[in-house]
Amino acid sequence: MISRLSTTILLAVMLTLAACRAPRPAQPASDIGVTMSLSVAPNPPQVGNATLVLTIMDEDGQPINDAQVNIRGDMNHAGMQPVLRDSSTGREGDYTIPFEWTMGGDWFIVVTADLPDGLTVEEEFEFTVDGEMMMDNIDMATEEMDMPMTEEASGS
Amino acid sequence: MSANQTPLYKPPSQFDVLRTPLLGSALRWRYGRLLFQVPLVIVAVLLTIDGFIGPQRASQNLATVGAWVHYRGLVVLVLLLAGNLFCMGCPFTLPRTLAKRLSISGKRFPKVVQNKWLAIGGLFLIFFLYEWLDLWASPLLTAWVIVAYFVASFVLEALFKESVFCKYVCPLGTFNFVHATASPTQIGVHNPDVCRTCVGKECINGSYAAQPIILIDSIGTGGQPDTTHEHNRQGVLGCGTDLFAPQIKSNMDCTLCLDCARACPHNNVGLFARSPLKELTDETAWRRRWDVVFLVAALAFMGITNAFGMVPPVYGLIERMANAFAFLSVWGLPPFAVEGVVLLVIFGTGNLLLPIGLVLAAAWITQRTVSTQDSLREIAATFAPAFVPVGFGVWLSHYLFHFLIGIWTIVPVTQEFFGFRGNYGLLGVPVDSPMLAFVEIGFLLLGFGVSLYIAQQAAIRRYRRQGFIAFLPWALVFLLMMLVALWIMGMPMEMRGTEAFFASAGIEF
Repeated sequence: MISRLSTTILLAVMLTLAACRAPRPAQPASDIGVTMSLSVAPNPPQVGNATLVLTIMDEDGQPINDAQVNIRGDMNHAGMQPVLRDSSTGREGDYTIPFEWTMGGDWFIVVTADLPDGLTVEEEFEFTVDGEMMMDNIDMATEEMDMPMTEEASGS
Repeated sequence: MSANQTPLYKPPSQFDVLRTPLLGSALRWRYGRLLFQVPLVIVAVLLTIDGFIGPQRASQNLATVGAWVHYRGLVVLVLLLAGNLFCMGCPFTLPRTLAKRLSISGKRFPKVVQNKWLAIGGLFLIFFLYEWLDLWASPLLTAWVIVAYFVASFVLEALFKESVFCKYVCPLGTFNFVHATASPTQIGVHNPDVCRTCVGKECINGSYAAQPIILIDSIGTGGQPDTTHEHNRQGVLGCGTDLFAPQIKSNMDCTLCLDCARACPHNNVGLFARSPLKELTDETAWRRRWDVVFLVAALAFMGITNAFGMVPPVYGLIERMANAFAFLSVWGLPPFAVEGVVLLVIFGTGNLLLPIGLVLAAAWITQRTVSTQDSLREIAATFAPAFVPVGFGVWLSHYLFHFLIGIWTIVPVTQEFFGFRGNYGLLGVPVDSPMLAFVEIGFLLLGFGVSLYIAQQAAIRRYRRQGFIAFLPWALVFLLMMLVALWIMGMPMEMRGTEAFFASAGIEF
């Protein structure tokens, strides 16, 4: 009796839980012709402070400056705190965002942008970060972005 | 000495957890194990569901966060502080009753595999797959691992009589068994004389019977039964791993299911507190077999290689090995398989060949330098328990590192699982870097120190005045293990997939 009851409860709970995850409202940027690219300095990335430059262009190749951008950096394994950043001030489609690589290894950066027209788009970028910390990086995030940066990642 | 000849044994401690108010009653309750199993089965179900349908990013999925950060951290902590509670609450054994009912043959497990060789193979396999398939990065594969555990447990329980999966196969259980030998609790009996005259030996035989049976415990005056007890459908199974409570000196093979305590009609079985060193310094508590020796030694080395898999030097090694094995790709082996071969060589060497080689070498040196008739097996078995603390220290150091830096990550991941917005703003590392380093290095040094003590005690006990000479090769092995572990833990951690390192060998995934 207990066995049958517990099995029934378990199945009901499983079906309920399977529906828990909220649907993701964002869609891939490429689906609506928006282009998002991300570059990083220093390049190649190393543990420590860094600067990300996100470029958003619409389907006509025109820059989008008024998007609300949220960035989430995660390592590819569990248990590390994500690095969260946001920005809403773009210049010629470029959003300059201070960032920090907290550990060496494989990272993915998920960029979510609320566009002025109300649509929300998302793109994922992958990086491999060198574990050796560069002491020169410490002040990097506070400096002006006058150095050339190499395109490191494209959306995946 | 066979089980029948083993003398009955009473642990020196009088503190019995099962006789504490409330907790003791709850544990002894017929459904006491379910109190632990139900929460863990719910957790296992949540992990599995999220692994299959949740986001396939390890840091955002319950399967990977729960299994590879929290389970591993908590299991070593609980083993150290309390005992094998995770086997007690194991959700994989829940289908056991159903499996037993479906069991047709109920055969014994083949004699040839009634040992720890399969368990060593299982441990090696899970740690190899962890690296090869990047289980740590894949919620889906982690969910499949959980499902595989349920299926394997169910099938083996259905096919065989005793708890074959727990005793001979389960890698998680084997990990727990080995480290529970350093735990502060153990099953035992209050009065061995009660067991000597016990009629039913319910602790091992169980008290379940389809039809009620009256057992007479003692005959009173006039030849009439004085005290009796009954086996019936309300009875419980006896020890699943065939341990006889009054002969238990070791936590090896004990799943702490407490069926023995529930089945005992004399309320004579207890869960006693003990010194964590008690079993490790008791030669009679250990089976003197090669499989047991290599199990504890290999598991200690697996701790080191598992940590080695996360630091930069391993990537250089993989790259060099990829170049060396590039010919396999030319022969037509797919990149995935070449990667498997490379990792198999690296981890096969570190997890199996190295411990086997070093144990044999240390035993041989001891044999040559000490006047003894002992075989290599006898010598290795004498020093085998000393591998537990140094290995346990490495596992504690490694797993607690992940657990402590990621302890709060489970909160937003759970919030998101239930459809809420994950609150990542509250996250913070509960310990600062110096404290983290203190914990890591502290456990490494503690494990090393205890291993030296146990090896030294074993050497003096067995080789008397020549004990110091006998002890030296083993001390050297432990020193090497500790230094390598310190070197690894001192490096910055990197967690990377290994595919990229095959590119220089012209192997593209």
